[in-house]
Amino acid sequence: MERAPGGLLQRSQQDPAISGNGERLAVIVDQRGRPTVQLRDLRNGKILPLRHFSRHQPHSSPSLSWNGRYLALITQRGNRRLAIIEDRLSGKAHPLPLPGGRDPVRLSLSPDARQIALQVADQGQWRVEIFDLSQTLESDRPGGLRQSTPSTELQR
Amino acid sequence: MSKTYRSMRPFEICMVVVATGLVGMSMTACENRALKPRQDLNGTLRQSASSHREPSLGQLWLVTLSNRQGRERIELIDLRNRRPVPLPGLNRPDAQPISVSVSADGERLAVVQQHADQTELLLYRRSLGSVQRLELNPKGVPRQVSLNGSGRILAVQVSRDGRWDVDLIRLPG
Repeated sequence: MERAPGGLLQRSQQDPAISGNGERLAVIVDQRGRPTVQLRDLRNGKILPLRHFSRHQPHSSPSLSWNGRYLALITQRGNRRLAIIEDRLSGKAHPLPLPGGRDPVRLSLSPDARQIALQVADQGQWRVEIFDLSQTLESDRPGGLRQSTPSTELQR
Repeated sequence: MSKTYRSMRPFEICMVVVATGLVGMSMTACENRALKPRQDLNGTLRQSASSHREPSLGQLWLVTLSNRQGRERIELIDLRNRRPVPLPGLNRPDAQPISVSVSADGERLAVVQQHADQTELLLYRRSLGSVQRLELNPKGVPRQVSLNGSGRILAVQVSRDGRWDVDLIRLPG
């Protein structure tokens, strides 16, 4: 058994999400009182840069695709919660506003990033709804086959 | 053939506004195309239990904590046929599940559950129907779990000495 890199020095870490290949770990850390997502490369312990997740805290419920290309997360926008997927290869953000103006509470991205499960409140009950992302995201499969030209490097 | 707005009649202007609005609406729809609901699956989920929470997706699997008749249990659904899969030996009547995560192939489930005043960390192997209790070292109270795709690495949020840690556990093959 091992502690997450930086665990002994790092402040509180919550809500872990490990990538399909086991090489990346996203956690929520306390950053000046604001719960913020942090992504680490487990092979060398280094923190990896994220382009779109320095604001809109509190962050919660991170989820990673197989190679860690996609990081899905729930963020705060005003008084609403919004799920966003960052594509670390292209640098793009994909906001996922829910039909009906509902707010997500938890999420899970499928390993290949073709589907996402969102937990929402509906008439006083928790519901889980599945959404198809196949028209929006390239898949992120084992082996890391890339289908498009990257605008940024995935691993820095 | 083209007219300026000034030379148009009110009805024509109205039609232009409506047409512009429709274009705008269709553009909005394009922006929101990211979220295309799986209607078939969502309908099944809505009917199968009074509530579902804590979703975890494998490649062709969805695991949730589902509530039927006031009792919460771990439910694994095969996304190919939208049917729940039996999990013999996992859902105990005297245990309350807290967190669950599934491997990509649906073979392994990591579970945190409350049982007999203790919070337990478990590994369930579906093909064997076996439940293995995992010990934390140093000791702590598990809260949230995440399995990697092969189900061989487990990240677990642990309460220890008044703070939250994340432990990584390499599991046997």
